[in-house]
Amino acid sequence: MDTLVEIVSPGFLLREALIGSVLVGCICPLVGVYFVLRRMIFLGVALPQVSAAGIALAFLVYRILVGQHQHFIASERWLAMTGSLSCTLIGLLILAAFAQHRETVEARIGVTYAIAAAATILCLALDPAAEAHMVNLLKGDLLATTGLSLTLMGGVLGAVGLLLLAFRKEFLLVSFDRDLAVVFGKHVGLWDSLLYLMIGITISLGVMTAGPMVTFGFLVIPPLTARMLTRRMLTFSLTASGLGAITAFAGFYCAYHFDLPLGPAEVALASLGLAMVTTTRGLSRMLERWRAT
Amino acid sequence: MSSALFRLQDVSLGYDGRAVLEHISFAIERGEFLALLGPNGAGKTTLLRGMLGLIPVLAGRIVYGFDRSTSPPGYVPQRDTLDPIFPLTVREVVLMGTYARLAPLRSVGRRQRRLAAACLEQVGLADLADRPFWALSGGQKQRVLIARGLAVEPNILLLDEPTAGVDPGAATTIMDLIARLNCDQCLTVVLVSHHLRLVRSLVRSVLWVEDGRISKGATEVMFAPERIMDIFGPL
Repeated sequence: MDTLVEIVSPGFLLREALIGSVLVGCICPLVGVYFVLRRMIFLGVALPQVSAAGIALAFLVYRILVGQHQHFIASERWLAMTGSLSCTLIGLLILAAFAQHRETVEARIGVTYAIAAAATILCLALDPAAEAHMVNLLKGDLLATTGLSLTLMGGVLGAVGLLLLAFRKEFLLVSFDRDLAVVFGKHVGLWDSLLYLMIGITISLGVMTAGPMVTFGFLVIPPLTARMLTRRMLTFSLTASGLGAITAFAGFYCAYHFDLPLGPAEVALASLGLAMVTTTRGLSRMLERWRAT
Repeated sequence: MSSALFRLQDVSLGYDGRAVLEHISFAIERGEFLALLGPNGAGKTTLLRGMLGLIPVLAGRIVYGFDRSTSPPGYVPQRDTLDPIFPLTVREVVLMGTYARLAPLRSVGRRQRRLAAACLEQVGLADLADRPFWALSGGQKQRVLIARGLAVEPNILLLDEPTAGVDPGAATTIMDLIARLNCDQCLTVVLVSHHLRLVRSLVRSVLWVEDGRISKGATEVMFAPERIMDIFGPL
């Protein structure tokens, strides 16, 4: 209880990290809802890795062209952000361009993941001076969140959340019945591009803030849990987002209280929630069937 | 002045630049109840998709007798093309039809909700509005999709195999509903089917599609014994 009081108090030393963590937990599932509904979950593994490769590549290119960069300064985050966002968007564009060939979709995502993972390690190997700091960034250095980066992240992720809610009927229509959207004269390509842009931004910021593992976890696990609890689209999105935020907060609490690594604690808690809901649902279905016979 | 809602002039349709149907010309008049019939793989669905603007016209042109941007056609796809992973109630599915006339940032309001409820009433499923769409039977889902097509407030309703995969009783209910909409509301209806027996007593005209060609005529003419002989050969 003392820990809870401590982390919610205004003077808490890691307040920015806590808020950043909850923000990622809140917005990633809103985007992840479309990953689950469009059956693009594997993309959720590949894209954070592409984003991480982008960070590593940006540092390497900077070192080659300009020289060794300074650590722990604002420009380092901007550099990482540029690399992360550029590579994520390019990766998304390439994958989207081949989206019509559905029979090879898993293969393309698998190849993307393999290339991105290899590129990350190669870039790190070629830039050993930056490796230690890079590893922190790639893991998701939540504890390094500052007031400025939090403001930026809050603004951008807040805008993503608002856009997802404001245009939810367009995103639902193009995701659920693309043909009907075309018949209605909706600009399907435009709505897809906007959705992909928001996916790219969210993943880039998520990876920068919390790392690929946490980003993927929040993209997929809360929506999968919410899918079993809800039967309407809006409640599905809001429940997924709420579950993500609660899990992020609870994960932060556990990590702080038991001195655990933050990312894995958050993902473990989210998975525990998914396991509990799946088990409860399975048991209630078995009970229903047993009663019926 | 012609009352044609669709006029296809020497149109060729197909996929990846390869024509499935070539040089076809016909018109669909206001109030018509037309069935697109033909063997499997003849190009019935290709023709329907071409009329809906879902595939590009390779040659010729389609003239629409209505403004597609302000009053799009009602479209009822085969229900198997929709993914059951989406958590949607029956009401939400029908409300999607109202999105046709809603600009971005305009949310669904009272008018749209009333319209969706009226469309559900028309198909006889008002009681199921809050049920999950995927929990319904095949026939009920198809009727919900027809209600969604009606929520567009269309001049014309185009249906792709509305009775495919449903039991005979449900198929009859669906066909009777479509016939009633055509008769009572003067709604122009075009449907793809290969249930000849089911549609022959209801539709007023038939468009036969086979080997990349079409022939169109009144139902009694197209189903005359000599035509049946032409189409199926000696039985």
